Amino acid sequence: MKLLYSLYKEYKVLIRDRAGLAITFIMPTVLILIMTLIQDSTFKSVNESSVPLLYVDRDHDSLSETLEKYIANSKFFVITKKQLSNDEVKKEIAQGHYFIGIIVPEHTSQKLRERSTARIAKLLNSFSGDSTRTEAEGTDTSKIALNLFFDPITKKSFKTTISNSVERIISQIEMQGMVSALNAKMSETFPDAKPAAMETTPLVSVTEEYASYNNSTIIPNAVQHNVPAWTLFAMFFICIPLGGNIIREREDGSAFRLLTMPGSYFIVMLGKLITYTLVSLIQFGLMLLVGLLVLPLLGLPQLNTGDSLPLLFLIALSAGLAATGFGLLVGTVASTHDQAALFGAVFIIILAAIGGVWVPTFVMPDIMKTISVVSPLNWGLESFYAVFIRNSTLKEIWPEILKLWLFFGFTLGASYLFHKYKRMK
Amino acid sequence: MSVLVNIQHVSKQYKEATRPAVSNLSMTIEKGDVFGLLGPNGAGKTTLISMLCGLFPPGTGKILINGHSHETHSRESKQAIGVVPQEIALYPKLTAWENLNFLGHMYGLKGEALKETIRMHLSVLGLEANMHQKINSYSGGMKRRVNLIAGLLHNPQLLILDEPTVGVDIQSKQAIIDHLKKMNREQGMTILYTSHHLEEAEDFCNVIAIIDHGELITQGKTKELIAQYDCNSIEEVYLKITGNKFRDK
Repeated sequence: MKLLYSLYKEYKVLIRDRAGLAITFIMPTVLILIMTLIQDSTFKSVNESSVPLLYVDRDHDSLSETLEKYIANSKFFVITKKQLSNDEVKKEIAQGHYFIGIIVPEHTSQKLRERSTARIAKLLNSFSGDSTRTEAEGTDTSKIALNLFFDPITKKSFKTTISNSVERIISQIEMQGMVSALNAKMSETFPDAKPAAMETTPLVSVTEEYASYNNSTIIPNAVQHNVPAWTLFAMFFICIPLGGNIIREREDGSAFRLLTMPGSYFIVMLGKLITYTLVSLIQFGLMLLVGLLVLPLLGLPQLNTGDSLPLLFLIALSAGLAATGFGLLVGTVASTHDQAALFGAVFIIILAAIGGVWVPTFVMPDIMKTISVVSPLNWGLESFYAVFIRNSTLKEIWPEILKLWLFFGFTLGASYLFHKYKRMK
Repeated sequence: MSVLVNIQHVSKQYKEATRPAVSNLSMTIEKGDVFGLLGPNGAGKTTLISMLCGLFPPGTGKILINGHSHETHSRESKQAIGVVPQEIALYPKLTAWENLNFLGHMYGLKGEALKETIRMHLSVLGLEANMHQKINSYSGGMKRRVNLIAGLLHNPQLLILDEPTVGVDIQSKQAIIDHLKKMNREQGMTILYTSHHLEEAEDFCNVIAIIDHGELITQGKTKELIAQYDCNSIEEVYLKITGNKFRDK
């Protein structure tokens, strides 16, 4: 009965604390919306068809047309065609209007055809034993140059990816040119023969798949990162209203009164623990709804929650207990409301930063990846990733869950010892 | 009369302090007494009250409340006391009713008996009409009256009052003192009262103890003390014993 009334009192105090409610529920919602919208474009620039490309076709022949068709089919670029000089192309890219510029010089197709024919002729002549004679003696055999321009801010890895894509497309066009030249040569030698049709598509293909359990093929995106990340941030930010609540009770003498009642102080602390853990679970549910219902309305991908709701609940409960335990510790250690707010906020921001809330750990340098494992927010975040993206089971994530429970136990123990120390002091 | 509070050779020194806050202090409080504990700032009153409430144990010595020590019988000894701190130890965003209902349950009270007790105290102290208003909308005097009720709810054998009338209007002060006198007279409630209002203490308490530098200087029936020190009031006795020097830290 005492616990029930303690819960009721905490509920009443919480529900009438508008500033506390705003920190608890509105702040994470706003953070998720803003951060997801900001980061979505970054994720898209790497994952989706949004690379702006300037295409300058001075060839107006088969190569440039085929290259353009291939680039368009790759669905990796947004192509803009213009007739500009090299300097103008450089300027457009330098101004950030395009990530990449491709110039196909005049007569490139013609040159390709001539070189292909020369190579085929050389090949066939070598079969007939006359390796010195070519049918196209005097043909220019130097390499045909295509000009690629990149925005200087483009990352090296991204530049290499784009260059490789363009080179692969050109290789296919070259191969087609060689086959056409071979057909033409064969037709001259064997006028009655039908031209050979040869596939030029690659014989070896590489299949790419995200390694995950239960064949999940969900690709990490801004939503999959930001919803769990900022939910955990908000859960741990509970240390400020909870710490403030404990300090207020101490300052106004309520804690003193409760300590003089038989067994009541620990019942009241248990009431706070349960109430604020429930609040963190409500936060989690609310943020899931934001990911499922609100973000798609803003043109963002819908949150994929994976296959196991009970496991998500277990992670949220574990993170909620860890966060509440931390709040109890902050409220016990800090002497004033200002101290609790400052210490709590700074500590959570540091834990969030190293835990991968702002910048995911998989893009962090190795040293930061190593450091990130000390953050309880990282344990929660890794668990959510595992369920959201890899469809992991408890078997895979239990070490992270255990860490959260141990952190909870540590904060409770430390709070008790510090409380005792303060009383004796 | 029998002894309710027995303080035996109690000393307490805080970790970083150079001298003990309470030093080898012994005294008794009889059941039914209104006991005034007086002393200048830093005399050791708060430390002694904290130990009486079970907040921390004495460094040496023993405190028994109705025969029970906090260290061995915490539940029994804590159930026997009610505390009215100097601060308004209430939740400002809860109503008076919600505060008292919560605190009553924390003392193990429940049901209609608790509701009836709350109503009775609110009615006597003139707060019944405002009981569903939040504490932060109350005047200082109203808050003090609710603060007092919170310590009386479980009808304790010993009520510990720390400056119960500080900063309140005359009407509220009178209501508080009258209610306490009634509880003492009708329920036999023992009261331990600390205050710097010596005139109020003289009027209210039948026994007075003056402590200074953590030691008991004198203790006796109020009138007997005044006569013993050849003074006209407790204030004169107090000044005679503790001197006129400032007690700033």
